[in-house]
Order: sequence, then structure tokens, then C-alpha cells
Amino acid sequence: MTPTLAHYLIVSGLLFTIGLAGVMLRRNIIIIFMCLELMLNAANLSLVAFSRYNLTMEGLPNYNGQILVFFIITVAAAEVAVGLAIIVALFRARQTTHVEDLDSMKF
Amino acid sequence: MTAFLLSPEFRVVFLGIFLLMLDSFTKTDKRYIAWAGIVGLVILFGFSFFPGLPEGVFPPGFYLSDPTALFFKRFMLLSTILTLALALDYSKVYQEYIPAGRPGAGLGEFYILPIFACAGFMWLVSAADFIMIFVSLELVTMCFYVLVASMRKNLLSLEAGVKYLILGALSTGFLVYGITWVIGLTGHTSLDGIREVLPIVPQGYQVALMFGLGLILVAVGFKVAAVPFQFWVPDVYQGAPTPVTAYLSVASKAAGFVVLMRVIEPFLTVPGLEQKIVTVLTVLAALTLLYGNLAALPQTNFKRLLAYSSIAHAGYLLVGVASVGAEASGPAVGFYLGGYLLMTFLAFLVLVHVGRVTGGDDISDFNGLGRRSPVLALGLLIAMLSLAGLPFTIGFLGKFLIFEAAMQSHQYLLVVLGAVTVACGFYYYLKVVRAMYWQPVVAEAPAIPVPVFTRFLIALLSAAIIIFGIYPQPLLAMLR
Repeated sequence: MTPTLAHYLIVSGLLFTIGLAGVMLRRNIIIIFMCLELMLNAANLSLVAFSRYNLTMEGLPNYNGQILVFFIITVAAAEVAVGLAIIVALFRARQTTHVEDLDSMKF
Repeated sequence: MTAFLLSPEFRVVFLGIFLLMLDSFTKTDKRYIAWAGIVGLVILFGFSFFPGLPEGVFPPGFYLSDPTALFFKRFMLLSTILTLALALDYSKVYQEYIPAGRPGAGLGEFYILPIFACAGFMWLVSAADFIMIFVSLELVTMCFYVLVASMRKNLLSLEAGVKYLILGALSTGFLVYGITWVIGLTGHTSLDGIREVLPIVPQGYQVALMFGLGLILVAVGFKVAAVPFQFWVPDVYQGAPTPVTAYLSVASKAAGFVVLMRVIEPFLTVPGLEQKIVTVLTVLAALTLLYGNLAALPQTNFKRLLAYSSIAHAGYLLVGVASVGAEASGPAVGFYLGGYLLMTFLAFLVLVHVGRVTGGDDISDFNGLGRRSPVLALGLLIAMLSLAGLPFTIGFLGKFLIFEAAMQSHQYLLVVLGAVTVACGFYYYLKVVRAMYWQPVVAEAPAIPVPVFTRFLIALLSAAIIIFGIYPQPLLAMLR
């Protein structure tokens, strides 16, 4: 059986759901951050699959989608750099990376 | 190519890079970097009134130049100038909260990052392609992650930074996944291409298309603070450095609304989708109006109050966006945002000075401000009355235009809801006015010295609020 577009989309949907569930359920900020990266990669996978299977009139893949993948990878890397720096700064100040401990602002 | 390099965004980026170099050669007083930034941006603001790029979409299809984009470019430049002015007044407080390796460490970035964010905002309002929207939105968000968390010795700022980071990244995840589905089903990344293809997209794809558009709406909902995606707003606004809060609540919200209107516009041309989108927007607007105004009622912290008020204003703006079909809805949203810029920055300008002297930003810190510092009190009075929507202020006219557009497109429910919540608004905005003029002064409260430049800005913003409230034609002419 050769994989079709639907298979790729199901896998990417699963990745996105796992990522979203992780963000909602996990309590460690580092793990939440990993789940966020998973969500971005789900988008990458489905973009590449869409562009490979929906050919243009000339029979070429849709390259615009693939260009967006490169931008997503770059942006994700930048986001990790900034994000980990902020998490390290938080750990230095509070000695914690758990979301329950972030409760100094309540009205 | 040369025309492209001379587009206002590149000039702003060049200014930012120049200031970064200036920063590394400055050892003593960093404040003149902010002055240089203000002067540079004022010059660029002036340039925007000379004929620039011709109208239309530029060849690769990424960049669009039209009157709306031009209006919002000026809007972004102006709000960055005001943010830098706020940052100047906030420097003393800010410096207490950054690890002091050497004098002035970290101040340069605090003044320069808003300039790069400004370039991102300006690209965002000109974006005609999903790739461009994504990249410029991330440029802005990345600057804000750093700015919000930048007071590293202040726990509130760090917490706000982490919360903004996680929810910002979450909304990015929703955005790209939604974009993926829209691109996959239409085969185009540009909004023009999508508009052409949409009528011939098979009926069976419409559910998937709605799913993709829905995810994009969620992401934009995070950016504009629409209920139910607003829960990060109060904490982040309270924890972030005050100038960053102001910048976030004005420029970020405006950019979100521009993107929202640009993205849904091609989808509204499809008969089957139009009704669904309008329903979703109506529900969002109603929830945001109710939540923002009701949750603001019991607040005692002024910064948190402004956060809830910013949610409430997002509600009125969403009413404008939901008035699909009314010709005046786009200009009404633009005008409302223009007024929102003036009154929000005026309120934050006063807050920075009161906070600097009293060390807190509770409403009780404003007690007796009318006698301690009449200039600040008068400025805040005008800002509050305009935010509440008193006639003869720009806030009233903004609401009037929004409701007029809503009437034209038969959104009567939203108009009624809007009118009721305006009454709520009067209660919580006037709470601050009451503290300023009718509460006794705390015995040891010192007088608040106000620099000349700040006095000038307060006078300018107050005058603009009243003048545009009576004579709005120049502003409206820019939007038509």
C-alpha cells in the first residue's frame, strides 16, 4: 500500500493533537515548550504533504508551501532561543519551572 | 528593487541597526539613544506624508500598498514614538530591576527593540500573503517576548514573560496549522490568489476550509484579546514594564485587527461561508463586550483595569468587524483604533509618572492626584472620559461610527449590548476620576514632578482627543 495524502494528514493531525494536549495537560514549562514545537512540526508535515500531492498545472509541486516550511523552521529556532533564555531567567529567580508556581498575580 | 529598499519598513530597520551600533559605543548616558530613536521616527513619520510607493500589490505578491496600509503605518510609527517617550520616563524604574553589570546595561535594548517591532508591525499591515503575515507577525512577537520579560529582577515581569511566551507560541501553532489547511486546499499563499480560487473550490472542501480559517481566527483572537482567548491579558499587562504594556495594548491590537479584516475578506465573497463567519464574529464580539466590561468592574489595580478595558475595547472593535457588508465598517474600525491610541497612551503616560513616585499602580495610589499634580490629573481625566465615551471626545465618535456601521448591517443585538456595556464602562472609568478628585491626599504623598516633554505630550494628546472628537474629518479622510 502506498501512502496517500490522507495518511500524511492524519499523522500531522495526530502530532498537532498530541502537542495541544501536552500544552494543556503538562505542568512543566520545558515540556510545554517541547509540545509547542511539536505543533509547529505538524504544520510542516502537512504543508509538505499538500505541496507534494496537489501538483500545479505544470505537474510541479506547489513550492510556495515548501517555502513557508523553511520560514517556520527558522522562526521555531528563534523562538526556542528566546524562550529558553526566558525560562532560564525564571529558574534563576524562582528555582522552578512549574506553571503552578506562577501565581503571584491574582486579583 | 530600489523602490522596495526605500519602503518605510527598511528605513525603520536601518534606524534600528544604526541605534544598535550607537548603543555599543555609548558608555555613559543611554537615554540619548531613545531621543535619537524618537527624532528618527518623527522624521520617518513626516516622510510618510510625501508621495511614496505607488498603490497596489508589488510583483512577488507579498507586499501591498493602499490607503489603509498607509494609515496604519503612520499609526504604528506614532505608537512607537509614544512608547519610546514612555520608556524614557520609565528608565529609572526599569534600571532597578535589571542586573547591573555596568551602568545602563540593558537600557539600550529596551529603547531599540520597539523600533524593530515597529518595522514588523508596518510589514504586517502591508502583508498580502500568508508567508508575509506569518513572518512579520513572528518578528513582532519575538521582540515582545524579550520586552515583556526584560525586567529580570522583577518576578511579575518574568512571570508575565513566561505566560506571554507560552500563549504566544500556542497562538503561532494555531496560526500555522490553520494557514497550512487554507494553503493546502486552495493551492495559493497570497490572499489575491485565494480570492480567485475560492469560488471554484469543491463544496466538499468547505468544512476543511472552515477548520483552517477557524484556527487562524483563534490565533488572531489571541492577538486582539477576544474572549475566550483573553485569559493571558490581565497577567501579562500587569507584569510587563508599563511602556511595553501600552505598546502591546495599542499596536499589537491594531495589527491583529488589520490582519483579521484582510484575512476574512476573501472568504466573505463565498456565499456559503459568509453567514458562518458573521455568526462566529458576532458571538465573539458579544462575549468580549460582556466579559471585558463586567470583569473590569471590581478591579483595584489600575494596570489590570486598563487590561480589562482593552478587552472591552476589543469587543467594540469586533462589533465593527462583524458589521460585514456595511460600507463604513472598515473606516469605523480604523477611526476607533486611532482614538484608542490617543487615549490609551495618555492614560499610560500618567500612570508611568504616578507609578514612578508612589511605587505602585493601584487605583488608591491616584488618591488626591487632583491636588498633588493638576496637570497629570487633568490629562487622566480627559483620557478616562474619552475611554468611557463621553460626547465631544474621540472615544464617543469612535463608538458612534461603530454602532452606525452595525445598524447598517442589521446587527441590532450587538448595538443593544454595546449600549448597555458603555454604561458599565462609565462606572469603572469614573472610579479613577473619583479617586483623583474626591479622595483625600495621603499625608506623606510627595508632589510629582513632570518633565517638560511629558507636559507637551499630555497637552498634545488631550488636545487631539478633543479636537478630533469635534472635528473628525481629517482623520476620516485618511481612511476613505
